[in-house]
Amino acid sequence: MAGSALRRLMAEYKQLTLNPPEGIIAGPVNEENFFEWEALITGPEGTCFEGGIFPAKLQFPPDYPLSPPKMQFICEMFHPNIYADGRVCISILHAPGDDPMGYETSAERWSPVQSVEKILLSVVSMLAEPNDESGANVDAAKMWREDREQFNTIAERLVRKTLDLSPL
Amino acid sequence: MPVTLMDRLPLPNLKVYSAGSVLLLSIAAYYAVNVTSDPNWRTNATLQKQQDVHIEPADMDGARNLTEQMMEVMTFMIQEPLCMWTLINMSWCLLAVGGWAVVRAVFGRLRVGEAQRAKDKLWNYVFYKFIFVFGVLNVHYLDELLLWCAWFTLLGALTILTQLAKDRFEYLSSSPTSSTWAHGRLVALLAGELIAGAALMAVAARWGLPAGRDTFAFMAAECLIAMVPCVHVVARFVLRARGVDAAGSAAYYTHLVFDAVGLVAETGHVAHMVVHSNAVVSMASMVLLMQLRHLLHALLARLKRHRLYAALAHHMSRNYPMASPEEVEKNQDNCAICWEPMKEARKLPCAHLFHNSCLCRWVQQDASCPTCRRSLSARPTPPPATLTPMSPLNPLNPLTHIGSDPPAANHLFHFDGSRYVSWLPSFSVEVTRVPAPATATPAPQTNTPLSPQLDAIIAQVSAVFPQYSAAAVRADVSRTRSAHLTIENILEGRLPAPPSPPTENARHVNLEPAATAPETVADLHSAESAGAEFSESAAEREMALRRRKMQLLNAARRRYLQRLRPNTTEHGMMS
Repeated sequence: MAGSALRRLMAEYKQLTLNPPEGIIAGPVNEENFFEWEALITGPEGTCFEGGIFPAKLQFPPDYPLSPPKMQFICEMFHPNIYADGRVCISILHAPGDDPMGYETSAERWSPVQSVEKILLSVVSMLAEPNDESGANVDAAKMWREDREQFNTIAERLVRKTLDLSPL
Repeated sequence: MPVTLMDRLPLPNLKVYSAGSVLLLSIAAYYAVNVTSDPNWRTNATLQKQQDVHIEPADMDGARNLTEQMMEVMTFMIQEPLCMWTLINMSWCLLAVGGWAVVRAVFGRLRVGEAQRAKDKLWNYVFYKFIFVFGVLNVHYLDELLLWCAWFTLLGALTILTQLAKDRFEYLSSSPTSSTWAHGRLVALLAGELIAGAALMAVAARWGLPAGRDTFAFMAAECLIAMVPCVHVVARFVLRARGVDAAGSAAYYTHLVFDAVGLVAETGHVAHMVVHSNAVVSMASMVLLMQLRHLLHALLARLKRHRLYAALAHHMSRNYPMASPEEVEKNQDNCAICWEPMKEARKLPCAHLFHNSCLCRWVQQDASCPTCRRSLSARPTPPPATLTPMSPLNPLNPLTHIGSDPPAANHLFHFDGSRYVSWLPSFSVEVTRVPAPATATPAPQTNTPLSPQLDAIIAQVSAVFPQYSAAAVRADVSRTRSAHLTIENILEGRLPAPPSPPTENARHVNLEPAATAPETVADLHSAESAGAEFSESAAEREMALRRRKMQLLNAARRRYLQRLRPNTTEHGMMS
């Protein structure tokens, strides 16, 4: 089964390389292991994450695309839908069977017609518009709702950090 | 049931081993020449006769003496036990060097995953053959032991080469473009293996049959078990060359037949061994019974998976007709599940087309159209119980399965030689039960195979998660003894979170080259907006990816500073 997963990943990699969406780069860092990718995502314009380049790791299962990959940011993140350890909590990454939050309809969840590109685009829009109802990071969700100012300050610090600039 | 040897098993590498062997051989030869140079080394009739014949011309005499001396040295070496052993050792060494040469010629440099799996397979093989020779056959005579060793050495070489060929074939078939030359070498190797397998089978018939039915059955079964995967790879080659739908039913049944034949042969072989050893209570029969149980489980799981597949296929063929050739023709898109072109397709009521087998595999997980999510279970589906997370598809996914029930049935034998004598080796043998044979061929990830060395595992894990302290990783690895279980644990957050904000390291990896690569503004703009090209070589692709990442980062940094310029100057740069 790994063979078909590999072929599909290779096809996706090719497409993402030849025809990359704006501000997104993704691919296997070391092709010895085609099931682990790294992605760079540009913070969407007009949001508090604007300008940041956020690196994330994608871990694909052997039966990809039947099961979704796992995605984890490998930089410090502060966002209502990202766990403290960087794991991303969005419905597109949840297999139809599991529903950790208990309210997603299966229509929002993983299906083999999804792809790395669609996942990354969803993550970009998640950065732009956090869903503060599914609190992967409760503190961030609370701050997003109640103290947007401070949230923006933290986001700004993170953006500078991803660009390797000293804090203001 | 893979067996993993870990800790420090002091094994010399090939270079040291062959140098040592050559050295030993030359010492033995020197000794033999010395002994035989004394004409009286044995009072043997031929020797006497030789000394009498002295009337011939000197040059001819000299030449003949040389060949005769050679002959004598050879006879002496074969008769003298110590010299005999060096000869045997030398032939092993030659075989090892030959194997290495074949691997180098066919595969070039092995990829890390391939080498790892071949090594695991080798140790697994040695372990079970050891059990077989000493536990089942109870070999008493040295000659017999040597013959079995020779037999298993040849078969083992065949098995390892098959494993390598299989891995390489999977890798080649997943690459977008691979040279016909690489395929040609692989085909040549497979052909050679088939011939060698046939020859071994002939050996089994010629010398095994007179030695008794049991012996012949063992030898033939060994041969068969070694050959099935090889023929399987050949069959996959043929399927691919003929352009058969990789996910179609023809391919499915081919795989099914080979899986089943392999498992049945192995089960029969192990059962025969158990019967042959009279099932006495011993370590060997315990290991055999464990293996038998594992094989039976694997066989049953395979059958169950097939029954489910058949039921689903039947259900689908009854309820959802295949798309007509015109419809497939009209539909320009590839199958949305595997992204490969469709020659025939199944049409769902919502008019979406997929490969039949892709759809079957998906429907086992979720009974809906992958594209539009329209439910397919309006009509009575085969038991929705199969749609729970414990569906038989799980064996395909060792990560989640093993992750969900941690080290259940791992047997660990640990021998710490240094407790007795300082120079004795220490080693552990770990027998890990894996749910199904499907998992025995995991995805080619560097971190999937059960790595034999804890240090290597720790290094691997630390490379992936530099932010976790080595101590924490070590603690978890020593518990799980597997890189991917530990990685799973980390991803699931079962390890104590790192104290400092993560991945300073990871960031710097990307940035270090940035300082050394001066780039013009125009360069950055063009590189960022336009897509790169997709090279055929993995190394070039990796390089291009790194470069593109760096460019994106540099461009973003520049833009950010420009935006800030009114109030902040560039002194913000850390570097």
